[in-house]
Amino acid sequence: MSEGTEGAVTPVAVVEDFSVSLVRNGVRNQVLHHVDLQIRPGEILGLVGESGSGKSVLALGLLGLLPPESHPVTEGRISVGGVDLLHAGRDELRRVRREVLGAIFQDPMTSLNPTMRIGRQIGEATGDDAESVRLLETVGVRDAERRLRVYPHELSGGLRQRVMAAIAVADKGDATTTRQRLIVADEPTTALDVTVQAQLLDLLRELRDDFGCSVLLITHDLGVADQIADRLAVLHHGELVEVGVAADVVRRPQHDYTRSLLASRLTLTTPRDERFAGPQADADAAVTVRGLTKTFGVGRGRRRHEITAVDGVDLDIASGEALAIVGESGSGKSTLLRIVAGLERPTSGSVELAGDGEPQMVFQDAGSSLTPWLSIGETLGERLRGLKLPRDEVRQRVVEALAAVDLPPEVAKARPGELSGGQRQRVGLARATMIPPAVLLCDEPTSALDASLAKSVLALIRDLRARIGMTVLFVTHDLAVARLMGDRIAVMQSGRVVELGPAEQVVSEPQDPYTRTLLAAVPEIAS
Amino acid sequence: MTTLLPRWRLKPVAIGGAHLARPVAWAMVGLLVVVTLVALFARTLAPYDPIQPVGALNLPPLSPGHLLGTDGIGRDLLSRTLIGIQVSWLSALVVVASGLLIGGVIGLIAGATGGWVDSLLLMRITDLFLALPGALVAIAIVAALGSGLTNTLIGVALVWWPYYARIVRGEVKSLAARPHVEAARLAKAGRWRILTRHLLPGVVPTAVITASLDIGNVVLLLAALSFLGLGQQAPAPELGADTARTLSQLLSQWWVPGIPGMAVLLLTLIANVGGDAIRSLIPVRR
Repeated sequence: MSEGTEGAVTPVAVVEDFSVSLVRNGVRNQVLHHVDLQIRPGEILGLVGESGSGKSVLALGLLGLLPPESHPVTEGRISVGGVDLLHAGRDELRRVRREVLGAIFQDPMTSLNPTMRIGRQIGEATGDDAESVRLLETVGVRDAERRLRVYPHELSGGLRQRVMAAIAVADKGDATTTRQRLIVADEPTTALDVTVQAQLLDLLRELRDDFGCSVLLITHDLGVADQIADRLAVLHHGELVEVGVAADVVRRPQHDYTRSLLASRLTLTTPRDERFAGPQADADAAVTVRGLTKTFGVGRGRRRHEITAVDGVDLDIASGEALAIVGESGSGKSTLLRIVAGLERPTSGSVELAGDGEPQMVFQDAGSSLTPWLSIGETLGERLRGLKLPRDEVRQRVVEALAAVDLPPEVAKARPGELSGGQRQRVGLARATMIPPAVLLCDEPTSALDASLAKSVLALIRDLRARIGMTVLFVTHDLAVARLMGDRIAVMQSGRVVELGPAEQVVSEPQDPYTRTLLAAVPEIAS
Repeated sequence: MTTLLPRWRLKPVAIGGAHLARPVAWAMVGLLVVVTLVALFARTLAPYDPIQPVGALNLPPLSPGHLLGTDGIGRDLLSRTLIGIQVSWLSALVVVASGLLIGGVIGLIAGATGGWVDSLLLMRITDLFLALPGALVAIAIVAALGSGLTNTLIGVALVWWPYYARIVRGEVKSLAARPHVEAARLAKAGRWRILTRHLLPGVVPTAVITASLDIGNVVLLLAALSFLGLGQQAPAPELGADTARTLSQLLSQWWVPGIPGMAVLLLTLIANVGGDAIRSLIPVRR
C-alpha cells in the first residue's frame, strides 16, 4: 500500500499510525487501529466502510472534533495544514478550522442552527452579505439573495447541503490563492434522493475543480465513491484494509472485505429471484385502489394552503403479487401505503382489501416502531393475545417466529435498545408475519441499513413471501431494490403513478421521462 | 450473531451541568430515604413527649438531656422538631402522591383521548386552576373548610394536580404520535392495552422526576400555610407554626424559632437535591 512518490507535493492532511479509543456506555472501545492515510491537494479521497467501521470517528479526528465526553485516548498523529490537531492549542485549532477545514455532515438540518437565518450563518464565516451571495451562487443556489433571509427548515434537504457546502468553502481565500483546503463530507448524500445526490456529487467535484479543495468523502456506498473519488480507502473494524486508485479498488479489489462489500451491493443487474413468476392472469385481486386522493392542510391563517400528497391513484394488485412503489421523498408513496394500512383516512377514493382486510406493516425505522420498554417477547406475544393461548404456547410461538427470521430465542428477553438495526428490522418482520397476513406492507424497511444487512433482510422478505404466499406492497426510493422485490414496479411522482409495468421492463425500457431521470441518477459501477 | 448489550448501563450523570459520579447521585437519593425513615419513626426517636413541658425554660442547644434545647414553656425542641419533620414530610409526600395520581389519570385520559374531552373539558379545567395563584386558592379552600391539618392537605392537593395533568398529557400526546403506537394498533392491541402498556410506562420517568423535584415546594408551601396559622393546631408541633409562634424570641433565644425554621430549610434542600439526583439517575427515553 504505497502512498506514491510525488515527493514534491505536501499532503493537505496526514494521518500517521493513528489509533483512538472512546468510552461508550461505560466501556472503552478501540475504534481505530494504526490508521495511515494521506490526503493530497486537490484530490477527492473516498473513505468507505459499513456503520461501526470508525469512518466517522476518523472524520471527527481530522476536524479536531473528537467528542471529549467519550474521553478519547489517541496515539499517533493527525496533522492538517501542517498543524498537529491532537496537540494543538485552542487558538491554533480555530485557525486551522477557519482557514483550512470545512465540513458537510449527513444531516444538514441538525448541523445548521434552526433559529438563525441562512444569511447570518454564512455571514459568520464570510463576514459580508455580498460574499455570502457569491458563495451561494457558486454552490448552485438560485435566487441566492432571497435565500439569505430564510430559515433552514424552509429549504429542501439538497439546498441545505449546498448551504453547508457554502459555509465549508467560505473564508478559505479565493480560488487564486494556493492555500490548501480540505472539505470533510461525512455521508453527505445519505439523506437525499438519488437525483439530488447526483447534483451534490457534482457540487463536490466543482469544489475541487473551482476552489482547489481536497475532499474527504465518507460513504457506505461504493457506487457513490466510485463516481467521483480519485482514490479509495476501505475501513473495516477500525483498520484500513485497502487504499488505492478508485477504479482499481472497485474493479480489482485486493482485500476480501472490499470484495464482500462489492458483492453485497444491489444493482440494476443483480440476479432476480426465479421463485416468483409474477401474478397469474386469473388471480383474485388482493388490493384494489380507486381514485385515491389525500390532501393535507399546512400552515396557519393566511398562509394556510393544501398539499396534495396522493392525487387520484388507481392500482390493482393481484393476490400473491408483489408491487414495488418507487419515488423520491414527497412523491406520496408512504402516504399511499399508510392509507392502505388504515393509518390514514383518504380524502376521497377507496381502498379495498380482500380476505380479512387486516394488512400488516414493516416500518422504515424499526427502532421507533418497537415500544422501547417492552421486551421483544412481550411485543411479539401481543399479536397472539386474540387467540387466548396458554402462556407456554405463546412462548413457543414467539420462539418459532424469531427462528423464522433467523434470530436466536434469547432475543425474546431483550429490549429494542439492546438490538442492532438489522435485528430490530427482523423483529419488525417477525411481528408482521407471525400470523400470516394476506397483505404485507413494507415502508422502506432497509433504507437505514448497511448494504450487506439490507441484502439479507430483503432476502428474508422474499423467503417469507414464498413460504406464506402473501401479497406484498413494497415502498422504496431505490430502483435496484424495487426491481429485486417487485413483480411489477409503480413509479410515483407528485402523488401520481407515472409508470407501471413489469419490474424488468420498467428498468430496462423506461417509458416515462421521470423514470429515465431516476435511472440515470442511480450510481452504478461500470465494469 | 447476537450482540446483546448490558441491560442497565452505568453512565456518569449530570447535575447542574457538571458530571457527577453515579454513587454520589445514589447517596443523595439515600438522603431522601433517611429523611423518610426519620419521619416514619419520629415517635420512637423523640426522647420526650413533644407536648408536655419536660425541662427548664429556654435551655440553649447542647444542654445536658436536651440536645437542641427547650422552648419558652420547657418543651424539648428535638422532640418537637422530629415530630414536626414527620408532619411536614409525610404531608408533602401525600400531597405530591395524590397530585400525581389525580393529575396522572386526568392527563393520561386527556392525552390519549384527544378531541373535545381533551381540549374542552379536561384542559380548560386545568387551565382554570393554573391561572389562579395556587397558595391563595389553597388558603381560600382551607378557610372554607376550617383550619386543621387534614383540610390544609386537601386544599393543597386540590391546587397541586393540574401541573401533573399538563405534563402527563403532553408526554402522552408526543408518545402517541410515535410509530410504536401505530405499530401496536396494527398488531391489534386494544385501546386499554395501548394506554397501559405502550403509553403509560413512557410517562412514568418524567412524572416521577417532576414529582420528586416538587416535594421541596410542597414542604415549603405547607410550612408557609402553617406559619400563617392554617395547619396543625397548637399545641401539636408543626415546623412552620412553631417558627411563627415564637418569632418574638428570635433576638433573645434564637434557637426557639430558629431550629424548626432550619429544619424546613434542610428538608427543602434535601428534597431538591434528592429530586435532582433522581432525575439524573432515571434515563428519559426520547
